[in-house]
Amino acid sequence: MALLEVQDLSVHFGGLAAVKDVTFSIEQGERLAMIGPNGAGKTTLFNLLTGQLKPSGGTVIFKGQDITHKAVYARTQLGIARSFQITSLFPNETVRVNALIALQGTRAGRYGMFGVFRKDKALRAAAQELLESIGLWEKRDETVSWLAYGEQRKLEMGLSLASGPKLLLLDEPSCGLTPTESADITSRIRELGSKITVLMIAHDMDLVFGVAERIILLHFGEISCEGTCDEIRANQTVKDIYMGSRKQSSAGG
Amino acid sequence: MAAQPRPGIFTGRLFTRKAVAVPAERSVRSFIPVVLPVIVIGALLLLLPTFVPSYIQSLVTKMMIFALFGVSMNILWGYGGIPTFGHAAFFGFGGYACGILIIHGGISNFFLNLVLAIALTALLAAGLGIPAFRVYGVGASDNPIYFLLVTLAFGELLVRVAITARSLTGGSTGLAGIPYPQLDVLGITINSRSFYFLVLIIVVVCFFIIYRIVNSHYGYALRGIHDNERRMQALGYNTWLYKYTSYILAGAFGGIAGVLFAYFGGVMIPGTMGMAMTDIVFLIVILGSASVYFGPIVGAVVIVGVEYLASLYVPDRWPLIMGAIIVVAIMVIPQGIGVLLLDLWRRLIHGST
Repeated sequence: MALLEVQDLSVHFGGLAAVKDVTFSIEQGERLAMIGPNGAGKTTLFNLLTGQLKPSGGTVIFKGQDITHKAVYARTQLGIARSFQITSLFPNETVRVNALIALQGTRAGRYGMFGVFRKDKALRAAAQELLESIGLWEKRDETVSWLAYGEQRKLEMGLSLASGPKLLLLDEPSCGLTPTESADITSRIRELGSKITVLMIAHDMDLVFGVAERIILLHFGEISCEGTCDEIRANQTVKDIYMGSRKQSSAGG
Repeated sequence: MAAQPRPGIFTGRLFTRKAVAVPAERSVRSFIPVVLPVIVIGALLLLLPTFVPSYIQSLVTKMMIFALFGVSMNILWGYGGIPTFGHAAFFGFGGYACGILIIHGGISNFFLNLVLAIALTALLAAGLGIPAFRVYGVGASDNPIYFLLVTLAFGELLVRVAITARSLTGGSTGLAGIPYPQLDVLGITINSRSFYFLVLIIVVVCFFIIYRIVNSHYGYALRGIHDNERRMQALGYNTWLYKYTSYILAGAFGGIAGVLFAYFGGVMIPGTMGMAMTDIVFLIVILGSASVYFGPIVGAVVIVGVEYLASLYVPDRWPLIMGAIIVVAIMVIPQGIGVLLLDLWRRLIHGST
């Protein structure tokens, strides 16, 4: 059984069909990349998968359970996590508090009113582990809004990993990064291990070909073609509608 | 990337709510900066009735009640990022509930009365919260206008109800004749001095509970929702439930302030649930600062103090003075007196940083 099965998923904004009858599935442990020109509906599809948007039709099945109409937080509890294309952190808190808040989201004590949040030993230990794994432990007491952009992107990915997801949806993880930082993110995604399945939106072809096992090309809200990296490289449709116009840049925005 | 400049004392983050967040490591070792002022102020409040005339004692009682009112609103506003124009509804409702229970319900036991009034206020907040949060969507702290209007309407609605239900509430002249609380169980006769201590105890206990709540796991989730609700949902938080429960909590604590106010004045008028009272609590929070815990306490001291002086020297000009304070507060100290005081205190303690 596939981890995630998407069946005829559609959403309309007025007369505009932003996502049209999209059907695909992801196996446990797979690395799937989703590419497509701007406005192809990639982020919209992400929003449908995570529940930020309600679909006009179709179903989303995760671990055999129909989650089409589940709320965002309920999907996270089931094991779906996402990062955001536009960095979405808690800018006025320190790096450590960001990690603590993120880790708490799927833990039982999150409604507790009697403990002292910042002194929660279990959470603090988990935060140290998380921050060390993304290389931000040294910056733990910095306020997030004062971090460099590359560090904020790292934290963005770190927060997505905090819930211990089965399925990780990454929305342009290397967006706006320098080539060095981008390579760093690429290797970190590679190191995630087979317990985490990754679905990733990316414009950065080095990242896509460096990580993905399978690629889906989305065009005008529809799956235009699907295949392995080599198949996609060789595919004429892909060259025409996507890569041809972006040969000059590797780090897309 | 080049190193970013650090903010000066009066620039940058200080104008935002979380300006004063300090890393845990530094705030834990905080006896002199935090505990000492609390002890000094506490001791002063305990000794106050011995030294000052009774009208000052009564003024300070009122300050404490409004401080609790302001701090209760700040659970919602300062921490949850949810401003409301209807917080006075709970204040007034708590007071009315208390008065009606005494006068019509015949319940003279203070604690039973308090618990019942809190429960009724919380119930009201739970009822009003459901429709109110239907118009407060995800991340609506940027645009809470519909929520503000709905909560404003709730308050005004309760005012109309209080005016209309004459037999229960006394109509527009108000519910008069609320006696000082009875503490026969403890063998204490309540006069204005022991009432001062009763208010002091209840307000301090409430401050402690609220302080624990805003620094708890729940409290930080609320702060996270203030900062970035979309992300909080993606992290697995049921943000609606947090907002809704914080509305009930704020309402319940506002109700406690209302109960104390009913005993304090001995009379409840319909206006205490409406815009006039909301204005005052809004001003208390704005002037005192929503971004620090003790901000509304400072705001309450200033506002109640100025109101008292105004009533002495320029009677009937209070609304004009209040309007002027609002304008000056927003133009000159948008971050609030609380932040200014904290900043001064920090510089005093740490030298110039």
